[in-house]
Amino acid sequence: MLSMAFGNLFKRKVRTLLTVTGVIIGTCAIVVMMSLGIGIKQSMQDTLKNMGDLTVITVNSTSQSPDAAALDDKMLKKMKKMEHVAALTPILSLDSSMISIQSKKYKFQGMIYGVYLDTLKDFGYKTENGELPSAGADKTTILFGKDAEYDFIDIRKSSNNMIYPQPDKNGKMPDPYVRPMKDKFQVTVTLPEDSTATVKPLKLRCVGTLSEDGGKNPYPSHSIFMDVTYAKELQAKYNKLNNVKKTSKKESYESASVKVDSIANVPKVEKAIKELGFTTYSMENIRKPMEEQMRTIQMILGGLGGISLFVAALGITNTMIMSIYERTREIGIMKVLGCVVRNIRTIFLIESGAIGFIGGVIGLAQSYAISFAINTLYATSGDQGGGAAGMIMEGTAGAAGQISIIPLWLALGALLFSTMVGLLSGFYPANRAVKVSALTAIKQE
Amino acid sequence: MSLICLKDIRKVYHMDEEKIVALGRINLRIEQGEICCILGTSGSGKSTLLNIMAGLEKPTKGSIEIDGVNVTDFSEKQWALFRQKYIGFVFQSYNLLPTLTAIQNVAVPLMFKGIKKKERTKSAVHMLKMVHLGNRLTHMPTQMSGGQQQRVGIARAFVARPPIVFADEPTGNLDSKTSREVMGLMVTMAKKYKETLILVTHDTEIAKYADRIITIHDGSILNDQSNESILKNPENLEEKVV
Repeated sequence: MLSMAFGNLFKRKVRTLLTVTGVIIGTCAIVVMMSLGIGIKQSMQDTLKNMGDLTVITVNSTSQSPDAAALDDKMLKKMKKMEHVAALTPILSLDSSMISIQSKKYKFQGMIYGVYLDTLKDFGYKTENGELPSAGADKTTILFGKDAEYDFIDIRKSSNNMIYPQPDKNGKMPDPYVRPMKDKFQVTVTLPEDSTATVKPLKLRCVGTLSEDGGKNPYPSHSIFMDVTYAKELQAKYNKLNNVKKTSKKESYESASVKVDSIANVPKVEKAIKELGFTTYSMENIRKPMEEQMRTIQMILGGLGGISLFVAALGITNTMIMSIYERTREIGIMKVLGCVVRNIRTIFLIESGAIGFIGGVIGLAQSYAISFAINTLYATSGDQGGGAAGMIMEGTAGAAGQISIIPLWLALGALLFSTMVGLLSGFYPANRAVKVSALTAIKQE
Repeated sequence: MSLICLKDIRKVYHMDEEKIVALGRINLRIEQGEICCILGTSGSGKSTLLNIMAGLEKPTKGSIEIDGVNVTDFSEKQWALFRQKYIGFVFQSYNLLPTLTAIQNVAVPLMFKGIKKKERTKSAVHMLKMVHLGNRLTHMPTQMSGGQQQRVGIARAFVARPPIVFADEPTGNLDSKTSREVMGLMVTMAKKYKETLILVTHDTEIAKYADRIITIHDGSILNDQSNESILKNPENLEEKVV
């Protein structure tokens, strides 16, 4: 039966070849288009990841009005219990004018963030030196941001009192004033200028430096991270000493970061937090419209490919119908020789399925070749970064450099799809073939 | 009991409003092993009769029994399966499958029967040798002469050892010499395997190969006699057919 079907295909070489070519082009079009869509989406996601962690929601307390919900520890605990929340931390930012971190004559000028230090791990912070603290760390524990060591000034000098993290002529970075892992640090609360009170400096212990990561909030660069409870204590002390009046009786953090277990659950968690009366911000706000846009692009690309495959399917159907006209007699003979209807249908379906499958295989091979060509072309012209693709790729250019990606599921799917198209477009002709009357068929001269 | 038994077969074609009676009340019994010729001019209804016996057409009225089985109301599928078992066919225009070689063509009925490839190739080769085509095994139909093609056709008809072989004008496209060869082959084979051969022809020369000649005219049996009696009285036959 198989040999018969293939014999038929082989007999009509040119036509089979043309039909297969149709399927090849169709499969190729659909696979390449979809691979472009996937590639663009992938690079877009990479770009977004660079811009910020996709699974982190930043929560801001809305207003200072007394009836507004307070973003306090109690509320945070409540949020922590929400479904899909993996970790969260409040963010308390202290200015270096409020408290000063010092090491000998050098004073820190950057931002100081109070967070739950033990959650840094969950948020995906990495260290360059030292280790991230785990739960139960001492309250005097601090972590340096990437460039925080260069943010110290020599308080005894009035000018030229900083070292900049810029490489010298030999490409060597200058040594900063302080060595985070070795030097001793202490913190003092700033006093009003006219104050006569004295404050005792408190010791701090640096356990590590964080790696730079643009996607993180707070941003681990020109900043020092410390325990939020301790930061709060220092803040309270400052407020007391400087007679700063609180605008609200409620204690509330300005903002907090919430880590969600997966991207898919971000909208759900974000909605729940909004319902508690906070404003939120997450990459979801950017990701969603971008994703929708991507989907549209993918659909357009897939649609274009789909059209060519549809045309190819018409080609198969046409070929098979022509084949029936030509083979009416053959079908009749087979019937007279005792061929059961099912066999005839099988032969026709094998033929059309084979056209689809062969076309699919070759088309897929060609798609890989085209995809490779596109990627190579893109990689070489990527530096100029012209065109829309270049703009989209800006964030990740050079990193992956793949604008056309064919995942396994696409490859297998395309193969299955083209075979299915072959079978489906062979179905109608096959049923027609079955209905050919044996008598009229053999009478045909 | 007869192998084929036709009872009151009537076949009417409807052409627009007109009724054309192709066969009117045919009663016929054909015994096993008979070599039987249905003789008639074109339009006499002989082909219709053959088609009805082979299940390619349904009679308007009447019933057919083959080997004791009432096949009158068989469905297309039942007929196909029945033909696999009981019926071989030799056509006027050979009707070989153009994409297959001689061996493959002969093996087709066995393929439909579901016989394994090795076995069916073996039987096909054997049959082709019997029709003196041992040197044409892998030729395509287009590479063979009419006589050779018809011999492939004969091999195909007999390969499954069906009890009945129908031959519809088997020599219609052949010259007289080849016709004689082909007829000789068919009769020999039918006799060898004790098969029933039913020939349909308008050629009295061909009819002479048969044991029994049934003459049909205008849809009814005009004459049914054994060959011996005709041979004694050949004018008798000529007259009736013309």
